[in-house]
Amino acid sequence: MYSTKSKYVGFAYIAPALLFVAAFTLYPLGQLFWMSLHNWSLLGGNKFIGFGNYLRAYQDPIFWSALFFTFQYTLYLTPILMILGYLFALLTSGTAGLVKLTRGTIFIPVVIGLGSSSLLWVWLFQPQIGLFNRLLVDLHIIPKPLVWFGADATLGLWGVIISITWKVVGFGMILFVAGIQSIPAEIIEGAEIDGASYWQRVARIIVPLNYRIILLVTLISAIGSMLAFEQFYIMTTGAPENQTITSVYWIYTNSFTYFKLGYGSTLSIMLMIIIVAGTSIQIALTRRRSLE
Amino acid sequence: MAASVPAMAGTTLSMWVRSDGEELTRKIIDAWNAGHDNKIQLTVIPSPQMVTKFATAAAAGDVPDILSIDLIFMPDFMKAGFMTDITDKMKDDPNIGRVSPSHIKLATYKDRLYGVPGTPDVSVLLWNKDLFRKAGLDPEKGPTTMQEVYEDAKKIRALGPDIYGYYIAGNCGGCNIFTVAPMMWATGAHVVPTSADDEALRDGDIKGVLEILHKMWTEGLMPEAVRGAGPSEFHSAFYPGKLGMFAHGNFQIGLIKNKAPNLDFGITFIPGLKEGEVSSFAGGDVISIPKRAKHPDDAIEFLKWVMTDEPQIEVYAKGNFLPSRTDLVNNKYFKDNPKLIKAAGAVAIAQTPWTFHFNDMVNDASSPWLKMIQRSVFDGQIDDSIVEARKRMREIISEE
Repeated sequence: MYSTKSKYVGFAYIAPALLFVAAFTLYPLGQLFWMSLHNWSLLGGNKFIGFGNYLRAYQDPIFWSALFFTFQYTLYLTPILMILGYLFALLTSGTAGLVKLTRGTIFIPVVIGLGSSSLLWVWLFQPQIGLFNRLLVDLHIIPKPLVWFGADATLGLWGVIISITWKVVGFGMILFVAGIQSIPAEIIEGAEIDGASYWQRVARIIVPLNYRIILLVTLISAIGSMLAFEQFYIMTTGAPENQTITSVYWIYTNSFTYFKLGYGSTLSIMLMIIIVAGTSIQIALTRRRSLE
Repeated sequence: MAASVPAMAGTTLSMWVRSDGEELTRKIIDAWNAGHDNKIQLTVIPSPQMVTKFATAAAAGDVPDILSIDLIFMPDFMKAGFMTDITDKMKDDPNIGRVSPSHIKLATYKDRLYGVPGTPDVSVLLWNKDLFRKAGLDPEKGPTTMQEVYEDAKKIRALGPDIYGYYIAGNCGGCNIFTVAPMMWATGAHVVPTSADDEALRDGDIKGVLEILHKMWTEGLMPEAVRGAGPSEFHSAFYPGKLGMFAHGNFQIGLIKNKAPNLDFGITFIPGLKEGEVSSFAGGDVISIPKRAKHPDDAIEFLKWVMTDEPQIEVYAKGNFLPSRTDLVNNKYFKDNPKLIKAAGAVAIAQTPWTFHFNDMVNDASSPWLKMIQRSVFDGQIDDSIVEARKRMREIISEE
């Protein structure tokens, strides 16, 4: 079907991209796997131990508790971001000046660095001088300021979720706005003429036609949450007693605090496999639903 | 007429310092550069990144000529062979025997020397004289035992609902090794193991110290916020003037002058359980020469110079920083400042744990040291937590 010459020409076109992927993805991945088979210290020296690190990870209670905590964080945060992001998108998908201003305002926290945002919220949540606690007390939602970080894992988790929602919801909103605005106006108008209420139009027309965007945002949000690190490193520092350590936090701790690059590499490989498996299942399920 | 031959320009040496030590180190470098042909170019590395950055640089062979690093990491780097042995070059130096013994100990491995003190600091106990006055306590006399700390804290707590007697950083292992470990050392305790054969958390009265801290927590003498307090909350806890006492670094003397100039406070040594029992944690940086530095011979001249009278008095003491020379405590700049003299006196009684894997054992959020502090002080599980911490520290120090 294709001549040999056209195959070579095609290969030549994709060769630069292949080289880029090989250099910056495949090679580091290969090295990561190689390191995971060793006791590899950041301070130098390494000793081949085969799959010893993988056995150690299997028996490591902190690895599993961190993974479970990361799943919990992902399962709580993703629907919040999706639902809030979509509601904000519905609110701001118009073209009026005030609508655009609102959209811009909601989006602003997205451009703040995650480290800066986390530091900001550490002080907002501070029990003695934090504004957030003060607001909750003044509104009589809580009787006295809460110690959000360090004392209670659940409070710490929700503190981080609140801060991340504030920071990230605008990103999903913008993607959803693009999806909503791409729907031909005639379809919406036709439904309106047929007597569909606003929420019926949203549920029966807008959401189904935005299916692919919703899937994309869900995937981005879920993968980002599974890779959560900075916010917990800065806000909870894993306290109390490692109950708010995420998978990537544990990888970082082993690699750069304990100097155990080999074991950190092992944990990275295992997390990568879990995320790829989860993402593949999610895509397969939604693709099957789409075909139906 | 023959053209004149230009003088040989000096060498430019590179130096890294972590951000915590930047202020003093810049003054030292400026003084060196003003008086020497060889110049030093300083690079400041954010403190949390220093260890990783240096470890990767050492592995790649791309190291600075001079490194100023937290002394607590020296054992790991000396063991890894990343530092230059300066024993022979220093053995005839007249000042090497007069500097902070803790810094020299941390810079020594298998009886060989690898660095000299750079930017020393010590932990001390601070008290708020105004609150002491209001509570009917002698404002000029700080507590001399932990029991006195407890009793004074109780009286101060009674002054008002938002006034507290004491403070610890409940979520910071490093903060507590700096301020709680000296209470244990003062009783004669041995806290952190130096090797797999050395048992951790033994001798002295570790339980007694933890019991008093637990009592202060359960009686509400410390704010609830201490449970989640990290380094930054701990650092600034004293400034609002609503805290009776806390243990922190001598550098608070200068910081309080800037942040809370009206705060009237005193400082004393960190006490143990009985009268006369005092101790301190000697922290700060050691200055060393990494292996494969390009100019080690020039760098050694800097290390010798930094211990001489001129920088110690005209840079360290003049800037209200602690000199690393213990014989220069009573210098002309400190003589009218009893707080600085007291802090300088702590250098001679201070200790620093010499151990490998310090991060794993103490600093990290999941360290056995921090877990022990949290379970003892907040949950009252003192005996069990000491046993568990001892066991876990042994496991860590035994790892390859």
